[in-house]
Amino acid sequence: MNDMRLIDRKTTMNEIKIAAEGVDVFYGESHALKDVSVDIEERTVTAFIGPSGCGKSTFLRCLNRMNDTIPTARVTGRITLDGEDIYAPSVDPVQLRAKVGMVFQKPNPFPKSIYDNVAYGPRIHGLSRNKAELDEIVENSLRRAALWDEAKDRLAEPGTGLSGGQQQRLCIARAVATAPEVLLMDEPCSALDPIATAQVEELIDELRQNFSVVIVTHSMQQAARVSQKTAFFHLGHLVEYDDTDTIFQNPRDTRTESYITGRIG
Amino acid sequence: MPTTWLILAIAALAALGFVAGRARAMTSAGGDARRLHSLPAYYGWNVALTVLTPALGLFVLWMLVQPFLVDRHVTGLIPDSAIGQGSSRGLVMSDVRRVAEGLSVLEARGADADDIAAMTPEALQDEMAAVGVALGTPMTPAVKAAAEAYRAETDGWRTWMGVAVLAAALGGLALSWRMTDKDFRARNTVERGILFMLLGAALVAILTTLGIVLSMLFETANFFEAYPWQKFFLGTNWAPDFRGNSELAILPLLWGTLYISLIALLVAVPIGLFAAIYLSEYATKRVRTLAKPAIEILAGIPTIVYGLFALITVGPMLRDWLAQPLGFGNSSSSVMTAGLVMGIMLIPFVSSLSDDIINAVPQSLRDGSYGLGATQSETIKQVIVPAALPGIVGAILLAASRAIGETMIVVLGAGAAAAQFNQGLGEVVNPFQAMTTITVKIVSQLTGDTDFSSPETLVAFALGLTLFVITLGLNVLALWIVRRYREQYE
Ligand SMILES: Nc1ncnc2c1ncn2[C@@H]1O[C@H](COP(=O)(O)OP(=O)(O)OP(=O)(O)O)[C@@H](O)[C@H]1O
Ligand SMILES: [Mg+2]
Repeated sequence: MNDMRLIDRKTTMNEIKIAAEGVDVFYGESHALKDVSVDIEERTVTAFIGPSGCGKSTFLRCLNRMNDTIPTARVTGRITLDGEDIYAPSVDPVQLRAKVGMVFQKPNPFPKSIYDNVAYGPRIHGLSRNKAELDEIVENSLRRAALWDEAKDRLAEPGTGLSGGQQQRLCIARAVATAPEVLLMDEPCSALDPIATAQVEELIDELRQNFSVVIVTHSMQQAARVSQKTAFFHLGHLVEYDDTDTIFQNPRDTRTESYITGRIG
Repeated sequence: MPTTWLILAIAALAALGFVAGRARAMTSAGGDARRLHSLPAYYGWNVALTVLTPALGLFVLWMLVQPFLVDRHVTGLIPDSAIGQGSSRGLVMSDVRRVAEGLSVLEARGADADDIAAMTPEALQDEMAAVGVALGTPMTPAVKAAAEAYRAETDGWRTWMGVAVLAAALGGLALSWRMTDKDFRARNTVERGILFMLLGAALVAILTTLGIVLSMLFETANFFEAYPWQKFFLGTNWAPDFRGNSELAILPLLWGTLYISLIALLVAVPIGLFAAIYLSEYATKRVRTLAKPAIEILAGIPTIVYGLFALITVGPMLRDWLAQPLGFGNSSSSVMTAGLVMGIMLIPFVSSLSDDIINAVPQSLRDGSYGLGATQSETIKQVIVPAALPGIVGAILLAASRAIGETMIVVLGAGAAAAQFNQGLGEVVNPFQAMTTITVKIVSQLTGDTDFSSPETLVAFALGLTLFVITLGLNVLALWIVRRYREQYE
C-alpha cells in the first residue's frame, strides 16, 4: 500500500448530496441489496468496492432510478437528492437522470457520429444556444475525457468505430457534456490502458471541484488514488463505509480487511 | 415395379456396406476403436456412401438420357407416309408415346401380350379407351408398330440399366470395403463427400435461377427481333392487337406498377413501423404475445381474398364516398383501391421485420440514452430508430418488391386497363382512375390462344425480365443495406 499516490484528502465535512436509508432491491424473488444506508457527500469522490455480484452496480442504478427500466426490479427504502426523495411520485426520473449522470460498465456509444454522441445530452436538454456553443461543449467534454486529440479529426465518423477504450472515454465525454451534478461511474476504467486510466482519474479529480462522483471499481489502487470515501459491499450488504484512508489503513470489519488485502474476492 | 426393387436393393447394399465397413475397420484395429484413424461409424458411412453415390448417380443419368435416345431411334422408324396432312413428326411421336403408355397399362391389367400384338389398331384404340387412355387421332398401323418398338426398346434398356446400376453399387462396395483399414482417413473422406452434397444443393438453387434468367433472356431476344426495343422502352402507349400492328410500350404498365406500389407503401410503411415501435417499446409482454401473431395473420391471407375485399368493399366505398363526391371519376376499380388493400397486406411484412430489428437494438443503447436523461420517446426517435434504420429500410424494400410483383389485388382492385398517356397527364395521375400493372399484363398476354412467335405474346417475357431486374435490384439493395447494418454491431 505504500507505493500508492494518496491525494491529500479533505478533512472538512462536506454537505450531503445523496442520502440513502434502508435501501433494499429485489430482482423478482431474489434479494440483491439488503438494507443499505449511505450518505454521499458533495464535491467528493466516493468509491464502491466489493467482490463481483455483491450489488455495487445495483445500488448505483438506484441513485438515478435506472432500475426503473428493469421490469423485475423493485426498490424500497428512501433515497434523497438535496433532501428531496427521488422516488417520490412527483419526481420525474427523466429530470433526475439529467442531474445524476451515468457511465456504464460496458461502453455503449450510439451508432451516430462521435460529435452527435457527445452532443446528444446537450441537445436534448437545450444546453446550448447555437452551434458554436455546442461545438465548444463537445470539444470541452472530449478534452476532459482525454479523447480530443484522438478524435478531433474524425468527429463525423461513427462512435462505434472507435476502439473499446476510446468508446468508454466517448461515453464519459457524453455524460460530462450533460453537466450533471452527480456522476455515477460503473467501472469506467475496466477497458482502458494505464495512460487513459490515469487521464480518467485526473478527470475524476477535476470533476470533484464541482460535482459528486461515485465510482465502482475493482482496483483497490484506483479506489485509494481517486476517492475520499469508500464503501465496501459484500453479498448485498454494505459492510463498511468510511474515509478511504480509514478503510484502507484501518478497517473495522475483518471482511473488509480480507478483501482489500486480497483474501476474499 | 422393377425400379422400386432396384432402389431397395441399392439401399440394402448400402446398409450392408455400412455394417461390413464398420466391422472390418474394428477388426483391423484389433477391436480397439482408439487405434482407428476415425470413429468407427465413419468407416461404415464411407462404404455406404461409396455404394450409393455412383449407383444413384448412374441411375439418375440413365433415366435422363434413355428417353431421349429411345425417342430419337423410334422417330426414325416412322415412315413419312404415316405423317398425315397438317400433322408433324413431333405430334405423331407424342401419339406413339401415349400408345406405348396405354400398352403398359393394358399389360399391367393382365392383358396377354400376344393378343395385343394381334389386334387391329382400331380394336386396340377401343381397348385403351376402356382403361382411360384416350387418343386424339385414330391410331394407324404405323403408330401401333412404333409404339410396340418404343416399349420393347424402353424395356430392354431398363434391364440393362438395372444391371449397370447394380454393378456400380457392387463395385463401390468392393472397392471401399477393400480400402477400409485402421489407417484409412475415413472421416476426411466422408466429410468431403458430404461437402459435395451440400455444394450440390446450393448449386441446384443457383442453377435454377440461372435457368430462369436464361430462358427469359432467350424469349426476350426473340421479342426484340419482332418488335423494336426503342418502342418498347420509350413508347407511351399500350395497345396490343393480336391481328398485328400492336403498340407495346412498357411505360404505361411501369407507371401503373410504381404508382400502385407507392400508394401501398405509403399505407404500409407508417402503419407497420408504428405498430412495430408500439409492440417492441411500449406493449407489455402479454399484449405483445397476443398482438404480434394477430398482425402476422394478415400475411397468411391469400392475395385473392384481399382482391375480393378490394373488389366488393373498398372499391365501391372509395367510389361512393370519395371519388364521386370529389369529382374524380366513377370507377370502383382504381389505383387507390388496389394500393390501399395491398398496403394492408404489406403491413405485417414491415411490422414484423421492423419489430425484430428494433428488438435487436442492444438494451445498453437504451440504458445509455435514459442515463443521459432522455425520455422514452426521445430515445426511440434519436437512438433506436436511427440504429435500426438500415434494417427497417431493408424491410421496406422487401415489402416494395412484394408490392411490385403482386397481381391478384391489382386485377380485382385496379382493373386491367393500362394507363392512357395519350389522354393527358391528369388522367394518368388521378388515383381514382383504373390502371394496371406489368404482372397483370403478363398474365393477360399469355392466357387464351397463344402463339409463341407473335410479339403480342413474347412481350410478356420482356415485361417479366424487366420486372425481374427491378425486384432483383431492390433485393440486392435491401441485402446490401442490411449487411451494412450488421457491421455496426461488430
Ligand atoms: N437485471 C437483473 N435481473 C436479475 N438479477 C440481477 C439483475 N442485475 C443484477 N442482478 C443480480 O443482482 C446481484 C448484484 O448484481 P450487480 O450487477 O449489482 O453486481 P456488481 O456488484 O455490480 O458485480 P460486478 O462487479 O460483477 O459488476 C447479482 O447476484 C446479480 O445476479
Ligand atoms: Mg457491476
